[in-house]
Amino acid sequence: MSATSPTTALETTRIVLAGKDHRRFTAPHGVTGWAILVGKAFVGLLFLVAALFPLAWMVIAGFKAKTEVLSTPFQFFPEVWHWDNYTKILGDATFLRTLGWTFLGAILFTVLSLTVNSLAAYAFARLQFRFQRTLWVAVITTMFIPGMTILLTSFIVVTKLAMLDTLAVLVIPGAASAASVFFIRQFYLNIPASLEEAAMLDGCGRFGIFVRIFLPLSKPPFVVMGITAFLAYWNSYVWPIMTITSPEKFVLQQYLAEFRTGRGSSELGLLMAGSVLAAAPVVILFLIFQRQIIGNIKMAGLK
Amino acid sequence: MTTQAIDERRAAKRRADRHRYRDTKLAYLLLAPVVILLGIFVAWPAVYAAFLSFQDWSFYKDPQFVGGKNYVDVLTDPLFVATIGRGFLFVLMTVPPMLVLAFLFASLVVSVSRRFATVLKVSIYIPTIISSVIASIVFVLIYTYDGGILNAVLAVFHIDPVAWIGDPAWALLSVAVPAVWLGMGITSLIMVAAMVDIPTEYYEAAAMEGAGWWQKTFYITMPQMKNVFLYLLITGFVAAIQQFELPLVMTQGGPLDSTTLPNLFIFNHFRNDVNVGYSIAAALLLFVVLGSVSALVFKFINSERLVD
Repeated sequence: MSATSPTTALETTRIVLAGKDHRRFTAPHGVTGWAILVGKAFVGLLFLVAALFPLAWMVIAGFKAKTEVLSTPFQFFPEVWHWDNYTKILGDATFLRTLGWTFLGAILFTVLSLTVNSLAAYAFARLQFRFQRTLWVAVITTMFIPGMTILLTSFIVVTKLAMLDTLAVLVIPGAASAASVFFIRQFYLNIPASLEEAAMLDGCGRFGIFVRIFLPLSKPPFVVMGITAFLAYWNSYVWPIMTITSPEKFVLQQYLAEFRTGRGSSELGLLMAGSVLAAAPVVILFLIFQRQIIGNIKMAGLK
Repeated sequence: MTTQAIDERRAAKRRADRHRYRDTKLAYLLLAPVVILLGIFVAWPAVYAAFLSFQDWSFYKDPQFVGGKNYVDVLTDPLFVATIGRGFLFVLMTVPPMLVLAFLFASLVVSVSRRFATVLKVSIYIPTIISSVIASIVFVLIYTYDGGILNAVLAVFHIDPVAWIGDPAWALLSVAVPAVWLGMGITSLIMVAAMVDIPTEYYEAAAMEGAGWWQKTFYITMPQMKNVFLYLLITGFVAAIQQFELPLVMTQGGPLDSTTLPNLFIFNHFRNDVNVGYSIAAALLLFVVLGSVSALVFKFINSERLVD
């Protein structure tokens, strides 16, 4: 792979922030028209069920008594809807502490990630400096290093830095992300230069421009990259099981996996309720910002 | 040329450079956090991995240079070679079905009303944000031999229960299903975005010539989306062959190693084997395979673009 190819490869798969969203929907006419519409609705429903069924089943199983989750003959709905799985897990101090601890880490991670990556994105998008191209290629190249190779040696590095079993080992190593720098830079490149010129006439420096003009306009890329970071932290499992050993510092996924083989192996309803509560925050977060997230999946230059 | 002229030229170049690189100080300050973090936690580990792969080393002793021994050990280890084959099988089980389903999904989404399209897009994306751990917990219960919903549904059609993740013949497929479930969202939405980008005029012209849905799909949609297919094929391949969280939680690689995918093999080795060099050599070999496949295909995409 030549030194420049990562950039070209990425520019090929560039994610663009603006795009059209037209469709080719026409109202049905005639019998065949209606038949096609019914067919489409049916196929659409199949997709809906396939996507949502496992989650729906998880929520419902959370309302079941211990023995009902896996019962023969099989029963989809519980005999009696038990709220106590949810109340019990919400009353569990360990679960709540883990939830709070993970939430705190995820917030710190998101803030750190957005801060360092947006600063770099601004520098690459707007500043003139020596070795700009070399640094850009170096940063982008890190995207192409596969996780497993560095997972093992990163573990050795954090061990030597005495970071094991601390919050820092979860928050710091993954915060800088070339993908995030790339995404935010792409957005900054599209901000018209005329905005800066006005600010410069008012005596604003290069950094002042970032704070006063770029940051206030950064909501769209920050929402997308912020949620990406939050999700990555919230759902991480492998890195925590390697680096966190004290049960009181476990993150959510680690706790769930432990719970599943321990107490949860007999109390399945409780395990399901815990899983629902662990998934709920990110699902809600997604539903709030779904328009921005889905709207930003646009591929250009790939046709 | 006089020294004065040379000096003048140098001074001019310095002035030009000073203008050209006028933001260097601030830029380096802003870049420092990212460059330092990527340096310590990505670049250095990568270099370190390359170094350790030629060493016999464990946490308990100093590294000792052994040349290509680790690589030879990895390549002659039938267990590792088997995991690569299994990895490719897993790719076949996940990527083609995902692409076909996503194409079908996208074709549906672009042809229904805006509101239904939104519902479909949001729903298909929800599994993407679910963690592998939760997906594993849910799917393992769905697969349970006695009392699981899958066997209960099969019983309605008078099909005998299957042990799914307990049966080496079915286990890999049983891990592939949640992998597709988790990966469908992003694949489908990229497909939708690409399909929406195809100019409507093409379809209008085809419709005037009396082309039906199949003809439009074969002669317009598919050729127009060639590169998207290729892109999704590669990213899908890279993601699938690196998958190991699902088998780690669902089956721990069993039964009889039937779900030990390459990265899970490496991960387990790293945790149990004192010679770290072996695991790292295996990881690097996998990276070489992945890197060359991706580079080849990207090269292919780019050359195609030049021809067009």
